[in-house]
Amino acid sequence: MKEELNNVIASAKKEINDVTSMHELMQLKSKYTGKKSILNSFMQKIGSLSKDERPAFGQTVNIAKIQITQLITAQEENIKELEYSKTLRSESIDLTMPGRKRAKGSLHPITKIWREIEDIFMSMGFEVAEGPDVEDEYHNFDALNTPQDHPARELSDTFYLDNDVLLRTQTSTVQIRTMENHPLPIKIISPGSCYRNENDASHSPMFHQVEALLVDKGVSFIDLRDILNIFVKKMFGEKIESRIRPHFFPFTEPSAEIDIVCVKCYGEGCNLCKGSGWLEMGGAGMVDPNVLEKLGIDSEKYTGYAFGLGMDRIAMLKYKIPDMRLLFENDLRFLKQFS
Amino acid sequence: MKISYNWLKNYIDLKVSPEVLKDRLTFAGIEVEAVEELGKELKQIKIAQVVKCERHPNAEKLSLCQVNDGTETIQVICGATNCKNNIKVAFAGIGTQIQDFKIKKAKLRGELSFGMLCSEKELGISDNHDGIMILPDNAQVGSDLAAYLGIKDTSYDVEITPNRPDLLGMIGVARDLSALMKLPITLPDSKIVEINELIEDHLSLKNEVPQLCTRYIARMIKNVVIKESPEWLKKHLISVGLRPINNIVDVTNYVMMEFGHPLHAFDYSNIQGKKIIIRKAGQNEEFPALDETTYKLEVDDIVIADDKRAVALAGIIGGENSHITTQTKDIVIEAANFLYSSIRKTSGRLKISTDSSYRFERDITDEVAELASRRACDLILEIAGGELLKGKLDSFPSKKDLKIVSVRPSRVKKVLSIDIPSEKIKEYLTALGLIFIEGSKDDLKFKIPYYRKDLTREIDLIEEIIRLNGYNNVPTLTRSQNIMNKPVFYARRKVEDLLINYGFSEVINWNFGDPNDIDKLKINKIDERRDFAKLKNPLGESFSIMRSMLLPSLLKNALYNINHGQKNFRIFELKKVFTRKDEKLATEKLHLSGLLCGELDPVYWKNDSVQLDFYDVKGIIEDILNELKIENYKFQGSDEQFYQPGLGAAATVDGKIIASFGKMDPKIVADYDINLPVFAFDIDLDTIFTRDIFHDTIFTNIPKFPPVLRDISFVISKEFNYSDIVETIRKSGKNSISKIVLFDEFAGKNIKEGFHSLTFSLILSSDTKTLTDEYINNILKKVNKVLKNSYNAEMR
Repeated sequence: MKEELNNVIASAKKEINDVTSMHELMQLKSKYTGKKSILNSFMQKIGSLSKDERPAFGQTVNIAKIQITQLITAQEENIKELEYSKTLRSESIDLTMPGRKRAKGSLHPITKIWREIEDIFMSMGFEVAEGPDVEDEYHNFDALNTPQDHPARELSDTFYLDNDVLLRTQTSTVQIRTMENHPLPIKIISPGSCYRNENDASHSPMFHQVEALLVDKGVSFIDLRDILNIFVKKMFGEKIESRIRPHFFPFTEPSAEIDIVCVKCYGEGCNLCKGSGWLEMGGAGMVDPNVLEKLGIDSEKYTGYAFGLGMDRIAMLKYKIPDMRLLFENDLRFLKQFS
Repeated sequence: MKISYNWLKNYIDLKVSPEVLKDRLTFAGIEVEAVEELGKELKQIKIAQVVKCERHPNAEKLSLCQVNDGTETIQVICGATNCKNNIKVAFAGIGTQIQDFKIKKAKLRGELSFGMLCSEKELGISDNHDGIMILPDNAQVGSDLAAYLGIKDTSYDVEITPNRPDLLGMIGVARDLSALMKLPITLPDSKIVEINELIEDHLSLKNEVPQLCTRYIARMIKNVVIKESPEWLKKHLISVGLRPINNIVDVTNYVMMEFGHPLHAFDYSNIQGKKIIIRKAGQNEEFPALDETTYKLEVDDIVIADDKRAVALAGIIGGENSHITTQTKDIVIEAANFLYSSIRKTSGRLKISTDSSYRFERDITDEVAELASRRACDLILEIAGGELLKGKLDSFPSKKDLKIVSVRPSRVKKVLSIDIPSEKIKEYLTALGLIFIEGSKDDLKFKIPYYRKDLTREIDLIEEIIRLNGYNNVPTLTRSQNIMNKPVFYARRKVEDLLINYGFSEVINWNFGDPNDIDKLKINKIDERRDFAKLKNPLGESFSIMRSMLLPSLLKNALYNINHGQKNFRIFELKKVFTRKDEKLATEKLHLSGLLCGELDPVYWKNDSVQLDFYDVKGIIEDILNELKIENYKFQGSDEQFYQPGLGAAATVDGKIIASFGKMDPKIVADYDINLPVFAFDIDLDTIFTRDIFHDTIFTNIPKFPPVLRDISFVISKEFNYSDIVETIRKSGKNSISKIVLFDEFAGKNIKEGFHSLTFSLILSSDTKTLTDEYINNILKKVNKVLKNSYNAEMR
């Protein structure tokens, strides 16, 4: 009987080592160690033995069972490892093939600059004010201290809808409207579209401008100088200095034009700055007391500064866009560059 | 730290209620963290009389009592040995809440008990737990204990900021309140009577560490009688959370709470060699403290010692070997001060925090020691008797002159932006105890009292000035302008960003328009978009109006890009459109329009290419409306003529059209020389932005019970609308269906002409229970039945 048992172990060993799938292995498990297994049938034969033989025989069968179970466990590990490496082989890919991407859109470069300007000024406590594109002469000219016979009022410079209704030529109109409708102090920027009746390589009949206005007690020329400096550095980087030089605007006194160091040559002189090392950025000044008085604001008590910047120009300088026309052509090959 | 309303009233006639005082304290810079109404617990306790007291029939140590609480006679079982007939007791009836314990009906050894007779400890009145509290015969049966004991007080748990050690006692707080409330303050007057015997004959003092112990005063009283403190003293201590112990210890605690300066009392008989030595501890010196713990000291610790051993850990805790006991006769009162950093280091290392260390760690003042010492002796003589020996032992190694600080009224104005005249400044600062010495117009010199060590610079005085003037008593400059509509501002950016993520590129066109475009798009003759805002001097006919629509410009952009080789693109423009009829200026409205052309996704090697269709545009519109938190929008066919018939839709809210979208009519697109399928949308942002859509997200509870997912599939006639079908399913689901997702639509093989098969995933969930299979099956049965009855749907 012992020999018989050894044969069983030997054949189990061979069969177990030969299987390669978990399913087959489980079948062998039940064949050798399950309820109706070969080993169990040996156990049933124990009754035919004498009392003395029984314990030794029982022990032998148990050892055989343990041996076979160990073989199965070991093979189970082998098969798992086999299946794992199979998975690895079947899932192997070419890592250099292209990944799945979504279509990517883009904000218009002017909008990008627009947002950046809003964020810079909002972080300094300015609010963003808006007003109509279609304006009356009062808000566009009269309130801004522009005399009746000023050349800017000519048809050749301004788009009119009626005798005194026009497309605003500057967003300063929003400053007037804000001062009309809100108590002081006022600290706003007003970005928006403006229109002038000219269309050539360097002028677009519609363009984008941002104006800033601060009216409060104790606002001085130094504050204006300071805010311009901060803005230019935040917009173009720490290296870019700014300067102001005397100029004339009807609605500010003293008035100034703002220059920044050329963003291309950093002041060395190049074709962009036409050799001067400086680029013109916009106009600025202290709000003319006449403008304040017209709105019923005591100009002895309150002072203010205002300035206006061209957003299209800022976009062109910042992104090094060579031609203004690209901004309104809406060529996707251009637009997608700003994604 | 706790302070008490009644106690404060000893020094200052507070003319305000405890409620108002809370605010006054907070605005004085003494933040009140909690307010406790004392006597609340004792109010529930009734004075009762034991009318009968006999032994419990089944327990030797218990008595079975009948007590009368003024209204009825109640049976109570009591375990105290001092319970007997006719005494007046503190009775807690059923339902009384004492500390964390609620009195309930109980059965003890077969007898019922309907309440409890309380000990003083149980009531939090004292540590006395030797039997129940027995009240004098004149106590009124039926009245509450709080009223009888006169316990009616409010205590405040206050936070004292580290710069104000002078506020660590009642007097400091009263002094500040007196300045703030312009009320006079009365300080205790200690008139001590000494006998002729000299203290030097009984005790000597040696300060070995003058850098660490900056003041040490010892006074000695002979022949005191140790006993319980009088009621007023106990009440005050309880009101600030201290437990009365005996008259001597209670006085030292009382004076500590009064002056903010801790004291210690030694039993003279335990001071060996008649010597008090202040020295550094020896390395590993063992010190048995009052808290029954022996601490191992280090050389940086300061101890108060006698000839042989340490009797106190300086400023932190007294020694077990020298404390006051019932046998004590002669006592030594210590009033000292130690270097705060040393106390902090020792108490931190040994993890001992006491009322004493709490104060010494905060750099209190050397000078107060003398006041506290005198006050303690005065009180002890009054309540414990005894004789005070003549003189004191006093080590005061580094006495300092009072500081002088100047303040400039001009500087006050500069810092605070308010005008406070010199006279007012003097008034404020003198009220705080500062002494005005002299002053020119813009330079006022003040001598700083010793208890305000924190006032060393001009700016410190300015802080006091604004504090007394009132922080909120200054004008507010309105800086918030509210000019911009922030929600709209950010909503606009959100929509732009959403479209960018959908692959759209933003375009910007001139706002000039061509009136012919409106004809080309077959806009109705009476449509307001024909009320053109016309220019008098345009650049040309094709730029002669201000645009009333954005789509024509987008079609031109599309053509430009198609001509430059683009076939798959998405563009949008978010700009004002203009109309003008009778108004002086123009009507300007914000619109958002977009065009889509080509494939759904970028070319990808694993996917087949899919052309855009109507539902892609619809999904974008739905996403935008959801992003803007518009609820209850509905879809219907669009009246716009530029959409291909049957493929143009409008979104409405409350019957108002807010958007249109769909496939553009190929004929119209061809008019713009485009021969590709083009999808478009136009959203009236102006109208949307006037709706109340900008509310913050409000958190809703995350479901506690897991959702269950079930699929249903049925064949249904195509004549029924999807949206109606979904609504029917939702309604028949008895609120249990939280989500309905269509995941398959199929027509053709095996399905009748004019019918299709729809498969939905239903997500069922409940806020209150786990849904059982039975419950879910019932819901699904109901859904099936309703679908069958309403649409003749055939379940699969």
